Amino acid sequence: MSTYSVATFDLGAVPGMEIESSETDKVRHISELDDIDALARKYRARIIRFVAYSTGDPDLAETIAQDTLLRAYNGKENFRGDCSISTWLTGIAINVLRNHQRTERYKFWKRVNSSAIDVNEMASFLPAQSSSPESQLLAREKVKQLAGVLETLSNNQRTIFLMKFSEEMEVADISEVLGMQVNTVRTHLHRALTAVRSQLGAKI
Amino acid sequence: MTPEQSTHLSEEAFNDVLIGLGTPESDAHLAVCSTCSNHLRQFRIDIESFNETTLAWSEARPTASLRATRRSKVRPVMYSPLGWALAAVLLIAIGIPVRSHYLSSLGRASVQAPAPEDTQAQIAQDNDLLRSVDVALNENEESPISAYHLSETPHPRQRTRPELRKP
Repeated sequence: MSTYSVATFDLGAVPGMEIESSETDKVRHISELDDIDALARKYRARIIRFVAYSTGDPDLAETIAQDTLLRAYNGKENFRGDCSISTWLTGIAINVLRNHQRTERYKFWKRVNSSAIDVNEMASFLPAQSSSPESQLLAREKVKQLAGVLETLSNNQRTIFLMKFSEEMEVADISEVLGMQVNTVRTHLHRALTAVRSQLGAKI
Repeated sequence: MTPEQSTHLSEEAFNDVLIGLGTPESDAHLAVCSTCSNHLRQFRIDIESFNETTLAWSEARPTASLRATRRSKVRPVMYSPLGWALAAVLLIAIGIPVRSHYLSSLGRASVQAPAPEDTQAQIAQDNDLLRSVDVALNENEESPISAYHLSETPHPRQRTRPELRKP
């Protein structure tokens, strides 16, 4: 899998979401943010997944995940509790990644050496299900196919697709985090879905 | 597809359903159209497999304690002035004696006159002197044989090796 730069967006601080949440949720979220190792245990893998499949660079994903969690922990007072921690962290990860990709050091190392995702290795992590070996094999092939299709998408399409279908964010949240119009997000999603469904043979 | 269904969801309507922006019409269609609902279900299964697999892949990547990382990131900021001060003190403590030793040894070397290099003539002269000393010594030296009035030829009855006596 080749590496690519993530879509860059004009982000300041991660904006607050307009989703109403109860005070209890807010208290729970804030207490989650108090223990950095617990925070990492719960969210690190998700951040790595998001960044790795957005950029195609698993080593970079680990760096970004670490910086994201540290930044979230150090700035936990800024978390207003009006969105999920996962959404908040994704927004921070996008900011960290964008800043990282601007540095000369990143540009240099990207030219010299950048890691790539081994799709075959990744597909071997498909959790064992109760289905038949044939179904498992088919599912593994589908996973590889989907990873392959993601590579062919534009940076915007890929990032937004992952935010929607892997991070399970609402279109409005994606729009808010990326500072992008809802209609633009929808357009990118439509194009990404058309390409993915076409490649997976899922078109009617 | 049920017999009363003549068309399926359009590409856009299908994508809208996947995005979560389905309309009541598309929901009604999915309720009766097995083809569209199967496609929808299969797509969701594929996405779910992808998410589970990639998450398991991410979880398998080595982890480092963020608490330790955070401490190590904080330490340089807090202790760097102290570290630099310590390094400077060490440099002065080691550097000054080394420097003074170097300078003094340099001074001593400049005081000592360099040894003159031997010329061929000097070597020849030395060799002549050594030879004459050697000759003079040989002439003056008395042979131990002559000093004790010994003959250089062995006596005919003199046994070179003692014989063993029989008991």
